[in-house]
Amino acid sequence: MSANFSITIDGHAVQVAPGESVLNAARKLGIDIPTLCYLEKCGPLNTCQVCLVKLNGKLVPSCGTKVAPGMAVESETTEVHEARRTALELLFSDHVGDCLSPCHRLCPLQLNVPVMLRHIQAGRLHEAAVTVRQALPLPAVLGRLCHHPCEQGCRRNSLDDPAAIREMERFVADQDLQSGAPHLPPCKPHTGKSVAIIGGGPAGLAAAHFLAREGHAVTVVDRHEKAGGTLRTRTTEVELPREVLDAELAQLERLGVQFKLNVALGQDLTLEGLSRGFNAVLLTLGEISPRNTHNLGVVLGPHGIKTDPNTGWTSAPDVFAAGSAVKPVKQLVKAMSEGRAVAECVHRHLFGVAPRRPEKTFSSVMGRLDPGELREFLRGANSAGRVSPCDRCLGHNRAEAAIESSRCLHCDCRSSGNCVLQHWAQVYDADANRFRSERKKFEQHLQPGGIIFEPGKCILCGICVKLTEMAAEPLGLTFIGRGFDVKVGVPFSREIDAGLQKVAAECVEHCPTGALVFKSEAGGS
Amino acid sequence: MSVDLTFADEALARVGRKPEALIPVLQALQEHYGYLPEEALQRVCEASEITPAAITGVASFYDMFRMQPAGKHIVRVCRGTACHVAGAERVEEELRRHLKIPDGGDTDSEGQFTIEQVACLGTCTLAPVLRIGETTMGYASAEKVPKLMREFLEAQANSVAVKSTEERHGNGHGAAAEIHVGLGSCCMAKGSDQLFHALREGAEASGANVLVKRVGCVGMCHRTPLVEVAAAGKSEFYAGMTAEQARALLQRHFRPPGLAQRIGRVWTRVLDGLMLEDASEPQRVQRFSLSKRDPSVRAFLGKQVHIATEHFGKLDPLDLDEYVAHGGFAALARCLGGEDARLALTPSLSPGERENHAPAAVMSGNGLGLGNVETKMPGQTLSPLPGREGQGEGKGGQRLSSDEIISTVEKSGLRGRGGAGFPSGQKWRVVSLQPGETKYVICNGDEGDPGAFMDRMILESFPFRVIEGLAIAAVAVGAREGIFYIRHEYPLAVKRVRAAIAELEKRGWLGDRLLGVGPSFRLSVFEGAGAFVCGEETALIMSIEGQRGMPKLRPPFPAQEGLWGKPTLINNVETLAMVPWILRNGAEKFAAIGTAKSKGTKVFALAGKIRRGGLIEIPMGTTIREIVEEIGGGVGEGRRFKAVQIGGPSGGCVPARLADTPVDFESLRDVGAIMGSGGLVVLDDTSCMVDIARYFLQFTQDQSCGKCTFCRIGTKRMLDLLDRLCLSKATRQNLDELERLAHQVGAGSLCGLGKTAPNPVLTTLRYFRDEYEAHLQGRCPAKKCTALIHYTINTDCTGCTICAQHCPVDAIPMTPYAPHVIDDARCTRCDTCRQVCPHNAVELK
Repeated sequence: MSANFSITIDGHAVQVAPGESVLNAARKLGIDIPTLCYLEKCGPLNTCQVCLVKLNGKLVPSCGTKVAPGMAVESETTEVHEARRTALELLFSDHVGDCLSPCHRLCPLQLNVPVMLRHIQAGRLHEAAVTVRQALPLPAVLGRLCHHPCEQGCRRNSLDDPAAIREMERFVADQDLQSGAPHLPPCKPHTGKSVAIIGGGPAGLAAAHFLAREGHAVTVVDRHEKAGGTLRTRTTEVELPREVLDAELAQLERLGVQFKLNVALGQDLTLEGLSRGFNAVLLTLGEISPRNTHNLGVVLGPHGIKTDPNTGWTSAPDVFAAGSAVKPVKQLVKAMSEGRAVAECVHRHLFGVAPRRPEKTFSSVMGRLDPGELREFLRGANSAGRVSPCDRCLGHNRAEAAIESSRCLHCDCRSSGNCVLQHWAQVYDADANRFRSERKKFEQHLQPGGIIFEPGKCILCGICVKLTEMAAEPLGLTFIGRGFDVKVGVPFSREIDAGLQKVAAECVEHCPTGALVFKSEAGGS
Repeated sequence: MSVDLTFADEALARVGRKPEALIPVLQALQEHYGYLPEEALQRVCEASEITPAAITGVASFYDMFRMQPAGKHIVRVCRGTACHVAGAERVEEELRRHLKIPDGGDTDSEGQFTIEQVACLGTCTLAPVLRIGETTMGYASAEKVPKLMREFLEAQANSVAVKSTEERHGNGHGAAAEIHVGLGSCCMAKGSDQLFHALREGAEASGANVLVKRVGCVGMCHRTPLVEVAAAGKSEFYAGMTAEQARALLQRHFRPPGLAQRIGRVWTRVLDGLMLEDASEPQRVQRFSLSKRDPSVRAFLGKQVHIATEHFGKLDPLDLDEYVAHGGFAALARCLGGEDARLALTPSLSPGERENHAPAAVMSGNGLGLGNVETKMPGQTLSPLPGREGQGEGKGGQRLSSDEIISTVEKSGLRGRGGAGFPSGQKWRVVSLQPGETKYVICNGDEGDPGAFMDRMILESFPFRVIEGLAIAAVAVGAREGIFYIRHEYPLAVKRVRAAIAELEKRGWLGDRLLGVGPSFRLSVFEGAGAFVCGEETALIMSIEGQRGMPKLRPPFPAQEGLWGKPTLINNVETLAMVPWILRNGAEKFAAIGTAKSKGTKVFALAGKIRRGGLIEIPMGTTIREIVEEIGGGVGEGRRFKAVQIGGPSGGCVPARLADTPVDFESLRDVGAIMGSGGLVVLDDTSCMVDIARYFLQFTQDQSCGKCTFCRIGTKRMLDLLDRLCLSKATRQNLDELERLAHQVGAGSLCGLGKTAPNPVLTTLRYFRDEYEAHLQGRCPAKKCTALIHYTINTDCTGCTICAQHCPVDAIPMTPYAPHVIDDARCTRCDTCRQVCPHNAVELK
């Protein structure tokens, strides 16, 4: 029984050694079977059942199933995927916690607000700028003009006032611009592809930002003498000082975006000509007035340029359109997110991949909190009221911003982005709300030792229980109860810290969700 | 509050300090303190190898352990299937109301009573059942609750000492007559132990030469307590007698001397009243005439064949000599090698005694007792007294090799009676072929299926037979140690098996040399702590090892890596009870009974909406219709037979239209049910199939160990959907989702519990989809789901106020001589008003 043999997975043969798991064999073939409860050190725990494969007509967990000669395993089939997805969806139906905070989820540009606020609170302004510029194309502009849907979703609303998220954005961006060396988000190497963006308003500028970061040569063409579109025509100097707008435009130039100003489509150049000179053309002309329609060379619909809503594609090959040119967009941030979406489509198209809008980051959604649950959150936050800047024109100073940021309830999950459960939910397109039911209460145990334990996020994988057992922790962790009500806890109702005297870091590291995290982690990587 | 920890130290010293001592230690603590005080648990951690994590994990896993002090008396409400369909939920609601136990709590404010739900007390024919302290009460109902509690407290106040019927009774062999009293749990719940003592004392006082004898289960649980008077080659049967009537019975049969004669005649007349014609109400007392003349007894017993229950109603469960006289241990003796072992079987009886030793067998031969029916199976001739002069003769007393024993079991076609029907011989073979010195055999007596009590009955009535079967298995596979795993809800079974083991040890038949000649074989009893999932082999092993009973992925199978990582054979009680018969009578004889792939007989617990419930043993292949209509006498008057639930929470509902399905492993699987361990609950038109599905899912949900995602959360979500259906809040999408999820839970769960949990839902969806559809529209056709029904009073009401007096929630204002009205918002649908109304004026819509 010591000689190697071969088995097949989805028809592909692979050499295996006796005693090896099917999971391991699949990994050798590059088949990425999802696992949550599997950690090599602990051996198969067989709790999550997410790593199911089909063997002899039955679904079995691949982590605990050993290979045998002649085995024929099915892994990447619809049936197996559906079973894995169901396992994930069942876990989410009992998962008390939001991956993304409501503010993050509600931001059309997906700014990770709690992470930004934690950086501000800790005085890490550069890191805050990195977070902001990662998500927002013109943060100093948005920080002044955004209608901040994030704040409507802020859970502090039900206590006093939402965190001043937009003001904090502005603070970070202003500080960044004033630093002399504003942060530039990383750009990928040049792709050799070029894109012409016609119209330098919010949607066009946002698209330019994201396409440039993908390594494409972007040229923004605008018929005015300065780019900005409605940012210039429809705002006052008080609302948006032109100096701020110009500084943000300069950031775009630093990213490599070229501006061709005073050039109008239909007069100075044609769509046909642009199509010859660029790999793709994006029309972000702003609202289409009946006067200029005949010049465009693309088919129009009732509201503007006709496009495929999923791809932004117009009737002309290689020509995309977005923003108010397609359908009037009232809100600045919406226009910018449309620019971001079409940038993704154009980018994919340039690489020969079918265009589609960017995927939303998967998030489990907890919904409304009751007052008791809110109090759990408030324990980690400053209960003071909203801080107004002493000089309204200049915005918050550093001290004021730090206090304001400390009001954040941190209702995001610090594991988001590192969470294995969230990762597989995204990959398997799980529906977190498939099984709607009464959820358990949100609980948060803040430990003096810096661990945050959120039992509702625990999927009972058993890794931490096993690790404490292996390390012979004096108290350790154990499963408590039976059936649906099982939870992980410390013997004799002690707090988590007491159970994790030796292997806290290891348990936090290997927790597949955000049930065990360190408070010091900013999250959101 | 400080706790005296001396006992904790004592318990550790007595039970052990190794990690595997955990469950017995906790059981000892619980028994002593009434709960598990944290101080005592801390003490256990300090003074043993048991870790805090293990203690907390295990104590919170098993149902029997409490972390808070309980009331003075524990009221256990059985939530088994039969009790459920008979209205256990209403009884419990009424109990809570009566004892004023607050919502979410389990103990009344005075600390007198604590209510506990029990998965199944295994006395299904008495449903609904309560057990207060040691007293089991059958046929409970909501309106009887105040009376039951009053009676219990009165009995307590009078401190009526409950006599034990468990001591070894003196050897009364040689008496001219015998009185047999059934002393299984069901019988005892109906007062047979008190009756037994009354008869015994009466017999002694009268000086009659009569042996009052305890026997095991008779099977006719619908007629308990059952008394058989066997004298002068004649037997008479009495059903439903009470202790007060004992004297009358003695007087009737054994001439009362002198003065008492006249009184005796009066009593005899009363007794005649007890010997009336058949009636379906279980409370009615009646006489059984001889089996051939009483059609109901004949129908009940006629189709039965007794192998696991051989000599039922005849043997004193703990009389070893009697068991031997009836062929007991002959099979084991053959396995161990002929003459030596056979001689070993007769040390305690002189030849003269042996002559007189088989009165029951003589009666069997005369064809007069109940036991004779086993010889009357059509087309079969079973030897009534096989054994010593039987099969072994041809081999000249040679020891059977392991291979010969296993081959015999293989040839017999015996399949596991615990549920899955895996060929037993094959399992034995795998264990026997495993290398290594240390192997274990385990008897799985964790009969957890609600609605099943076969294993309890077999352990209570035939402990020696099961021990013999286990010993044969041990000899065959080469194990030197055996364990009985018995659920703690079966105290009598535990007691009797322990007593039987002690008796065998005393005689030198267990321990260093099996039967005094064979290899060493040690037996112990492990009491379960209340977790259905421990019936699953890998979970059972975890439990013996002192851990939470969480199943493991198989392979490796226990036959390869079982208890302590060693090859382990686990067989169900009933399977083992068949083994001695097979070896005594030969594989061919066993294989001649049953169907092509399912050989032999199967014991069923017949309960639910049926006239004659009880314990039956029938040849495989008997149809459901024969069981329900012939043996069980059909459903109640005016009711319609709708379905049978076979196989408990893992099984399914077979509709009446498929009643001609033969009961064998394959046929049942084909209709979506499973054989299961043998619970057979009959349902009639008052049973709601959605409610039944929900009931079982609630059960598996409660009993899920919580390890794997599909079972832990999947069954919960299925239950959520069924709850919505029963509350009329479900949409068609919910129904579709229920079906989809049911398939996925079945496919994705780790162990058998989860894999089969959706069966009750899937079979009811398959056969009774119309009822699900009706619930979608807000109707419950069986008028069972309380959210969908309403009680009203029609014009027949005379204003007698009885309903108003009985309504426990004052939902009926008292309006004498005027028609009454039920306040629907207050009404809890306890059904009391409908039951008490003398004019049938309460309607259910």
